[in-house]
Amino acid sequence: MNAAVQAGNVGETLVFWICAFFSVLGALGLIVSRKAVHSALWMALVMINLAILFVANSAPFLGMAQIVVYTGAVMMLFLFVLMMVGVDSSDSLIETIKGQRVAGILLGIGMGLLLVFGLGSALTNSTSVGLDAANGVDKGNVQGIAHLIFTDYLIPFEVTSALLITAALGAMVLAHRERWIPRLTQMQLSRARFAGSGHPGNLPNPGIYARHNAVDTPALLPDGSTTDLSIPGPLVARGGIRPVDHAEVDEVAAITDGGQS
Amino acid sequence: MNPIMASAPALFTIRSVDYRAISPVLIILAVALVSVFVEAFVGRSARRPVQLVLVFGAFLATFIDLITLHATRLVTAAGSVAVDGPALVMQGAIILLAALAAMLMAERMVDPSGDPFAARASSLPGSVDEAEFSARGYFQTEVWPLLLFSVAGMMLFVSANDLLLMFVALEVMSLPIYLMAGMARRRRLLSQEASLKYFLLGAFASAFFLYGMALTFGFAGSVNLGSIADAVSAKPSQSGLLLLAVAMLSIGLLFKVAAVPFHQWTPDAYQGAPTAVTALMATTVKIAAFGALMRVLYVAFGGIRWDWTPMLWIVAILTMVVGSVIAVTQSDIKRMLAYSSVAQAGFILVGVIAVSGKGLASVLFYVIAYGFATIGAFAVVSVVRDASGEATHLSKWAGLGKKSPVTGAVLSLLMLSFAGIPLTSGFIGKFAVFSAAIANGATWLVIVAVIASVVSAFFYARVIVLMFFSEPTEATASVVVPSAFTTIVIAAGATVTVVVGIAPQPLLDLVNNAGLFLR
Amino acid sequence: MNVYTPILILGILAFGFAAFSVLTASLTGPKRYNRAKVDAYECGIDPTPQPEGGGRFPVKYYLTAMLFIVFDIEIVFLYPWAVAFDRLAFFGFCEMVVFIITVLVVYAYVWRRRGLEWD
Repeated sequence: MNAAVQAGNVGETLVFWICAFFSVLGALGLIVSRKAVHSALWMALVMINLAILFVANSAPFLGMAQIVVYTGAVMMLFLFVLMMVGVDSSDSLIETIKGQRVAGILLGIGMGLLLVFGLGSALTNSTSVGLDAANGVDKGNVQGIAHLIFTDYLIPFEVTSALLITAALGAMVLAHRERWIPRLTQMQLSRARFAGSGHPGNLPNPGIYARHNAVDTPALLPDGSTTDLSIPGPLVARGGIRPVDHAEVDEVAAITDGGQS
Repeated sequence: MNPIMASAPALFTIRSVDYRAISPVLIILAVALVSVFVEAFVGRSARRPVQLVLVFGAFLATFIDLITLHATRLVTAAGSVAVDGPALVMQGAIILLAALAAMLMAERMVDPSGDPFAARASSLPGSVDEAEFSARGYFQTEVWPLLLFSVAGMMLFVSANDLLLMFVALEVMSLPIYLMAGMARRRRLLSQEASLKYFLLGAFASAFFLYGMALTFGFAGSVNLGSIADAVSAKPSQSGLLLLAVAMLSIGLLFKVAAVPFHQWTPDAYQGAPTAVTALMATTVKIAAFGALMRVLYVAFGGIRWDWTPMLWIVAILTMVVGSVIAVTQSDIKRMLAYSSVAQAGFILVGVIAVSGKGLASVLFYVIAYGFATIGAFAVVSVVRDASGEATHLSKWAGLGKKSPVTGAVLSLLMLSFAGIPLTSGFIGKFAVFSAAIANGATWLVIVAVIASVVSAFFYARVIVLMFFSEPTEATASVVVPSAFTTIVIAAGATVTVVVGIAPQPLLDLVNNAGLFLR
Repeated sequence: MNVYTPILILGILAFGFAAFSVLTASLTGPKRYNRAKVDAYECGIDPTPQPEGGGRFPVKYYLTAMLFIVFDIEIVFLYPWAVAFDRLAFFGFCEMVVFIITVLVVYAYVWRRRGLEWD
């Protein structure tokens, strides 16, 4: 692996350029997307490509962590939070502080130039060291990590569990709605259904008509009359009931009655 | 391509950990786990008494443990934990102050609705949920495990000799406090805003710390403070990267001590958080953060002190001046105390700048004296109430001293101590810090500090004048008679302030004998 | 050749297949649009109107995601431990057991407080 890296062979160069292209594309998409969800998805693209680069640079553990934790879990949390805030609530484009956007763009470009040229000039003529020390000693990157975690950084590792506990406790404290009334069991529910004066059995099926066949039409009862009981509550709430053409119903009734009415 | 198969597995060499030396932290962590377990399996009504026994038992056991360990001076766990004099002194102070803050958290007499924390932090403010939970007398006992985790983080923070452990400890310390800050029973939106602001800015500061850590690792090839010090003295020429690293690490830590310009969260967080949590933030977190700041600067970067002291000079001057001047304009006592804590952080930084054993000892003395006075002041704030809860607006304090002379007198004493008037602990603290700075040649800084203390004396005196030299009005709040918990805290704050002010020698001996940081 | 070349080739093939399918379908398929075709299909009833602001998710999702992250990070620590298990021996086993038990305590808390129940 090491020899391959130092040789700088074609495969690695190719992987780098492909991943670099897609991560820069993702980063740009992250910035220019108007919708927060799109930005989040672009960011996932950046992260996956960075993970591939990490793996290609002999840091498989970092690559795996990037995919498992960041792309898999943290990005999903981002998405959930965005959806909690409202998917479509795109940021207002009105500047609250005058000249903020111009200043932001200038500072961003300045920072980018500083990073590219600063790091670029610092790294062009320097030889990379430490890869053998990190991956070679324990014959593997992940083994090396395990070595460090369980020897030099044992205490931070164990204390991390306190952090995880706090995170879970905090999520529960902030987001878990405890019930104040115990949940009704199925038996209690069925008792309540029969004890009340309502309709204990199944509600009627939606009506089936020649021109329309969906849940939003009232049921057709055996006696030829219609009832709104078959329509789901949310549809009723938003006024989505499709009225039945009563002339037709009456006509059908008339035909079935044999023209006696 | 499968190197493991190539050779027989050789076992990793296990690094020895002196569990006896780090037992104070382990006790707190273990009890915190038990406390979470209690939350899971103990019935609702029994939780509070069990948690109180656990929390205060843990603090007592840890304090006794610290006393038996007082002579320990060692670095253990592969150099990542330093159990030295300053660490032990700060851990002891953190335990004592956290126990007092826990008493404020346990207080149930001052608020007519019971607990100082929300019935359910997850219920929306003003919702049916909230009303139902309050009506049923529910309250959250999760604050107790959170408190214990936070205290464990602080204790580890002051003895971390390794940037990685320091970072983990920083988060273990901060996360529970972000949470607890958002759990006030009254003025919940304000409290949640405080929590969010503190969290967002805190996360930002953590990112700075982390970046500084990465740069330091890039420079020194290690995150161990001792190894960093070796690398610093070995190649002082490469100072660009190193200076950036020091700046980033300092920003992360200066945020926690609320130094200007990293103080923006302080007034909102102090005002919105439940007063008991504010007391915890203002005392123990400050001690822990100064401990870590000094350890990083003294141990790892002591070799290039001439490079970072100018930066710290500017921060210290800004902190003292901005804190004192803005505090003058505040009309809310909690916000005023917040800016006062900013100003005090500036005075403490003066001691940090005197990079010497004397400076270290003076800072230890100052943070302990300040901690006790502050916790007393917040305890007093928590008992001054009107119909809407805590009466924090200063107009409601007019004539309070005539209505309730004892409370007024105690708060005046604490204010005098903040101002640094002789015969209070604050005076001795300021004297120690300033003389350490002068001994190190920072005379101009001390002159600025003295001017800032004069300005700060103005707003401390204003509270006293308001309480004693104006007539009580309709709007004047009244002092609720608290249970033994808050009474103990107020008494402890006042007693320590007076006793240390009159007879400072025992505490001075303690901090002077603590010696220097190990590495 | 580099060990990652097969993966690269696989990636190119997968990408190429996806692009080819979509492109072919869009080029060869008939295009006769009407309003009903672009409508969301909801069992014959009028499509549910989009709520204002795109609708909001209940906060329960956050709880689930957060708990997932917590145990996900636990697994990240298990990975190097498992790979180097033979060289960590009994000591590593004990440390990992301590770690898992501590995180398990909060699992017990979440379970007992019904944090795992959706309702």
